[in-house]
Amino acid sequence: MQPVYFLPKENFPAFLEALKGLGSVYAPVKVSKQSYSFKAVEKASEIAFEALRTILPPKKFFYPPSETLISYDDGRILEYQEEPEFKVIFGVHPCDLAGLGIMDTIFEDGPADSHYVRRRRMSMLVGLSCMPDKHCFCQSMGTDCPEKGYDIFLTDIEDGYFLQSQSTMGGAFLDGSGMTGILERAREAHKDRYKEFWIRRKDAFSIGFAPDNLRATMDMEWDNPVWEELGNRCLSCGNCTPVCPTCYCFDLVDVASLSGDSGERRREWDSCQFTGFAQVAGDFNFRPGPVDRLKFWYRHKLHGFDDAYGFKTCVGCGRCTVSCPSGIDDIVAVVNILQSSKKAENKSDAT
Amino acid sequence: MQPENIALKTPYLPVKGTIRSIQPMAADNYLFDITESTGSLASCKPGQFVELWVPGVGECPISVCSGRVGESIQLMVRRAGRVTSALFQLEEGDWVGLRGPYGQGFPMHEFKGRNLCMVAGGLGVAPIRSVWQYALDHREDFGKLILIYGMRHTTDILFRQELKFLLRRRDIDIFIGAEEVMGPELPPIAAQLGRVTDMLRLADISPDYCVAVCGPPVMYKYVIEGLKKKGVPDAQIWLSLERHMKCGIGKCGHCFIGGKFNCKAGPVFALPEIKHAPEAIECANGEY
Ligand SMILES: Cc1cc2nc3c(=O)[nH]c(=O)nc-3n(C[C@H](O)[C@H](O)[C@H](O)COP(=O)(O)OP(=O)(O)OC[C@H]3O[C@@H](n4cnc5c(N)ncnc54)[C@H](O)[C@@H]3O)c2cc1C
Ligand code: SF4
Ligand code: SF4
Ligand code: FES
Repeated sequence: MQPVYFLPKENFPAFLEALKGLGSVYAPVKVSKQSYSFKAVEKASEIAFEALRTILPPKKFFYPPSETLISYDDGRILEYQEEPEFKVIFGVHPCDLAGLGIMDTIFEDGPADSHYVRRRRMSMLVGLSCMPDKHCFCQSMGTDCPEKGYDIFLTDIEDGYFLQSQSTMGGAFLDGSGMTGILERAREAHKDRYKEFWIRRKDAFSIGFAPDNLRATMDMEWDNPVWEELGNRCLSCGNCTPVCPTCYCFDLVDVASLSGDSGERRREWDSCQFTGFAQVAGDFNFRPGPVDRLKFWYRHKLHGFDDAYGFKTCVGCGRCTVSCPSGIDDIVAVVNILQSSKKAENKSDAT
Repeated sequence: MQPENIALKTPYLPVKGTIRSIQPMAADNYLFDITESTGSLASCKPGQFVELWVPGVGECPISVCSGRVGESIQLMVRRAGRVTSALFQLEEGDWVGLRGPYGQGFPMHEFKGRNLCMVAGGLGVAPIRSVWQYALDHREDFGKLILIYGMRHTTDILFRQELKFLLRRRDIDIFIGAEEVMGPELPPIAAQLGRVTDMLRLADISPDYCVAVCGPPVMYKYVIEGLKKKGVPDAQIWLSLERHMKCGIGKCGHCFIGGKFNCKAGPVFALPEIKHAPEAIECANGEY
């Protein structure tokens, strides 16, 4: 077993200083009355420890909204690779750790996306425990207790943090001489408080659904009238996708210089909610209406990668729910409708 | 920091190809012969595709349309929009970018030793040409061969010269049909009036045939129905599906069908693999 440690809260500034020794540290910072964003931090006082969901998930550090992939100049085609600087991402909650795990799988799968993978390898993820609010449903998606995906994980046990490491890098950092005087070996009392925390957290979820049979439910309820109703209200604005920790879709575009002899090929985040996303030549559109695109999105989030990778692509962070201007990206509410209508039908079958 | 980073190369880097010849085949349909010196495309298999890049404009997926790819690759391109129009402005000697080959292509090894029917609708003839060229190059490996090629107008016919030669061969049965006669006469080739589905009825297809299909999205449903009537089991029907594609390597998400990336798992699927996936066969807009 990896050794576990206790970090008294008064030692946190020293812990942060040590992290800064590895590279720039980014953490949730309060940017408006209700919103948080991962930003570079210098001091512990800048960190919003209470933040639940940041506006954008931490995928932005490894997969920026827009980036150059290749360039060309006078007939030569060149790979564009910046040398990534080492980043420490602090305060990553369980849902976002799971989200990054999914992004890792997609981008590492051969042929690997070097642009993402190189940045990701030059990073350390420091997780932080949280208490769910009324939009969190990571428990239903099975991503509430991080078992992998972090280098170091901090569980808040009142007067301090209970520290676990998982990677070689995280382990070496905690075991290293730099932590002398900052960390203590966790004692039995700390371990008890750690266990109590996770039990308390388990009971703190106010919303959710039974995650079994999501695929069968979606298949059976593909023609449920709720889809039309939601589709009619969807603005196809695409707000729901950039905020999602697992939305990976992009467009590739050329940006040519004025002379036309040189330029760049860039990638930009795209959204499956935009009209032309699945359109092919001859004006065939596989998902012409908002309802088709919304159903596709729900399906993809709830079981779309079961075949390709064996996981679901929703981690239950609730970002889409809070950022949808029409209030229709309420996965929990929709799944509950789909699951209950099944029961209602069963009842009418029986009579 | 980690040495493995150094080895990691971008998968988005095209190789440079030079346009060796451009051959107009029909209005807005040109055959491009492109040479590529690194040999990276030599492993192209029938039904695979490449990402063709016009620098400064963009990329688009185009099927490999020759059964033999050596130092040159043939691409049959229809002028459809931005990238393809820009390609039509280029001249012999100009350079383009190529990435690939991508996708799984048709399972030629499964077809070996069996009767094979090839069904092409419109521009779907491009990938199907790579299948017939391969089959004729390895003629003794295959049983009976049938080619069905349908198009909207008689003037749309592609590969007319090649088909004229093929029509003289006795070891392949060919049905060519158009829905409408355009211009003064039928093309000087044994064609008939009718749709792909009409020709399917005429062809002597027994349930032991394997079938390779490529055409516009709306065509599939009707071809599948026609093959069902002939008693061909689903597992012997292979369809090449078109989807919007950007990356070609399972990253950009544009080509997703059911639970799979069309660019990686497809574009060719056996019917049972996709039969129940929403959106795979049915196309919301368009009647055939
Ligand atoms: C596996 C595969 C093989 C193909 N083989 C051939 C071929 O051999 N010959 C040929 O002429 N065409 C082929 N196509 C279709 C060709 O890729 C599109 O016609 C082309 O992308 C249009 O690009 P554009 O920039 O000229 O058009 P745009 O101006 O971008 O748009 C024209 C239309 O094409 C659609 N479209 C745009 N980009 C793509 C894309 N990346 N993939 C699919 N549709 C797109 C648009 O939604 C629009 O409806 C193939 C497509 C696929 C998926
Ligand atoms: S679908 Fe919504 S709740 Fe699920 S991970 Fe994405 S943003 Fe979070
Ligand atoms: S579901 Fe909501 S956020 Fe997503 S595109 Fe529709 S209106 Fe916009
Ligand atoms: S074309 Fe990008 S994922 Fe298939």
